[in-house]
Amino acid sequence: MEKGGFRVDSVTIDTTKIKPVRKTPETAIEKLEDTGLISTLLAAREREGSILFSTIDQVFNWARLSSLWPVTSGLACCAIEMMGVAMAHHDIARFGMEIFRASPRQADLMFVAGTVTKRMAPRVKQLYEMMPDPKWVISVGSCANTGGPYHDSYSVLKGVDNIIPVDVYIPGCPPRPEAWLYGIIQLREKIKNEGYGATWGLDK
Amino acid sequence: MQTDELLINMGPVHPSTHGVLRFKLRMDGEIIKDCQLVLGYLHRGTEKLGEMKTYQQVLPYTDRLDYISAFPNNYCYVKAIEELAGIEVPLRAEYIRVLVMELNRIVNHIVSIGSLLMDLGAATMIMWGFREREKALQLFEMLCGARMTFNYIKPGGVREDLPEGFIPKLNEFLEEMEMRIKDYEQLINSNEIFLMRMNGIGVISAKDAINHGLTGPTLRGSGVNHDLRKLEPYSIYHDLDFKACSRPEGDSYARYMVRIDEMWESLHILRQVVDTMPEAKVISTSKYGVAPMTGVPSTVSTYFPRIFTPPAGEVYTRIEAPKGELGFYIASDGSTKPYRVKIRSPSFCNLTALSGMVKGLKIPDLIAAFGTMDIVLGDVDR
Amino acid sequence: MNAAEELKKALPDAVTKIGMQCNKPEATVKKEDLLDAAAKAQELGFDQLSVITGVDYEDRVEVIYNLFSYENKHNLVLKVILDHDNPEVDSLTTLWKGADWLERETYDLVGIKFTGHPNLTRILLPEGWNGHPLRKDYDMETEQFVTIGEDGDDVVSTDGSNLLRRK
Repeated sequence: MEKGGFRVDSVTIDTTKIKPVRKTPETAIEKLEDTGLISTLLAAREREGSILFSTIDQVFNWARLSSLWPVTSGLACCAIEMMGVAMAHHDIARFGMEIFRASPRQADLMFVAGTVTKRMAPRVKQLYEMMPDPKWVISVGSCANTGGPYHDSYSVLKGVDNIIPVDVYIPGCPPRPEAWLYGIIQLREKIKNEGYGATWGLDK
Repeated sequence: MQTDELLINMGPVHPSTHGVLRFKLRMDGEIIKDCQLVLGYLHRGTEKLGEMKTYQQVLPYTDRLDYISAFPNNYCYVKAIEELAGIEVPLRAEYIRVLVMELNRIVNHIVSIGSLLMDLGAATMIMWGFREREKALQLFEMLCGARMTFNYIKPGGVREDLPEGFIPKLNEFLEEMEMRIKDYEQLINSNEIFLMRMNGIGVISAKDAINHGLTGPTLRGSGVNHDLRKLEPYSIYHDLDFKACSRPEGDSYARYMVRIDEMWESLHILRQVVDTMPEAKVISTSKYGVAPMTGVPSTVSTYFPRIFTPPAGEVYTRIEAPKGELGFYIASDGSTKPYRVKIRSPSFCNLTALSGMVKGLKIPDLIAAFGTMDIVLGDVDR
Repeated sequence: MNAAEELKKALPDAVTKIGMQCNKPEATVKKEDLLDAAAKAQELGFDQLSVITGVDYEDRVEVIYNLFSYENKHNLVLKVILDHDNPEVDSLTTLWKGADWLERETYDLVGIKFTGHPNLTRILLPEGWNGHPLRKDYDMETEQFVTIGEDGDDVVSTDGSNLLRRK
């Protein structure tokens, strides 16, 4: 058989010789483990959630991460890349995020895209506080992460995490759209593993 | 009918203020009686940082002033240094500089028109515009690996020569762009709604425009045919055939049309640059001991030394950036750091005229007039 | 005859020194006569005020005006030398409306007072900011924070405790 200049011999696989990797449970403990109950309990304890609501959590998380609506707040250079990410070429509509809300009341994600100056800092904080829970923040670019090239300046805040909690940091000056997409994927991973039973106080 | 005065705050977080600008509007019903602008929400202290860094270290900061068109910023700062120290630049480097600056002018006008249309409620143009912008950015990426903040134009030349395969790709882009600009014109120019929103909105007379210090397309929209590329030709512009575009009306539509015309001119310039680009070294190897100004230290004998100390003196240089006249004033005391860097940014000076232009209009007209000013907040607040 | 010499000829008392700023003719003007000199320059055809720069040279403060004539394509640089501790000079807003913001910016960052300016307030930094950053003796160590006041305006203080998360 000729394929792309290489000769490939056909191979026959004898399925009878392949042993199953999974061990059949024998002792009582192994049987219990096999039900998956222990791992569920451990996972629930890890995130202080409830066992009862873990499936509901999964459904909620799925719903939340599938339609994150960002608030339209561009601060500086990174905002132009944010426009680039939102446009047809990179297209964050694939994450259900293309609806940039002009009002923070309708948004659940904030991109801090650009330099946070001392004068803008209270506004950014207010914007964050106006967003309804649950809410997430992605800090984009060196300036928002640490102050970046403007770290020595008299009028720039040294990192937006000084005023609001940040979930994901994206480095770069400005980050390429691919980096944005990677950051968004990281946030989705994070949301996927959150437990809401705990935040609602249902486990008590 | 008796009406109460209403105070409306617009910004600093607002989708159509192109960043973090804030308007304080005094309204009489729907009519703007007074428009006050509050700036400084993106004031990053670039000028102070310029005093704290060495000459080369300041260069990346210039990228972040007008971040939509960073090449002209690079160039203007570098030109100031070159004038101060009397550095000669090889011809091919000048050609490459003009090439990237004109390409950047097209990108700038695409973004400008796209966001103007988006503010007016038409999202098609920005989708189309960013499609072409992405292709131009790929060209920039081939050159220097960056999409927006290039740091490519260096004192004495440019950082690297054009990479292999750049010119064919550029030609492809130019050909496509010609088709696309025609598309834009078909889409927008005679659109009934667009005309209603733009015609006669935000009018400024030629005399007022000059007195307010307007420059660039904003000035040329008022019938003043002044273009620094023509008035004080720098780089290789005196060898190129192009015309300064202007329109007599002075309203928003005229300013928009000037930008479309300028894109055509830029295409024309780019074709000439590609055709006549000489084959030569990019970085100047000449020792710049030939400086016309005195006081060049004798230790400076190589091309552009890491520890660069220009002669003491002052220089003010300006170029025609896509948004208007961009100027750099540098005062040197002969040390490794500039004593003072002052940036004359086109956006800042153009905004001066806005509050006078929008008096008596409605808020949607403010958005239209403001959109045609084409400002970038990084450039306004520095 | 370049523009600075022309100005010197027209106003021999006001212009104290003529020279070159790199390749642009420069006229140093007495600070009391700046308004006259600028008006004369405008008469001579310098219709664009390109930029106003304030420079703090520890013993003095200089203000530099770059003018340009669209008609004759000439440059002219006007320079005034001011007292370091109390820099004060006439405003040019009556001649060029574009001088308004440029002067406010120079006041904000360098601390030069322009007498006769209709609204000489800070423009890039909020009202109440302590010091003028482009002065060489500006205190870079003390951090200043801004909070939102009652009517949406900025309030400056060195205490950032109600803004910052980490105390």
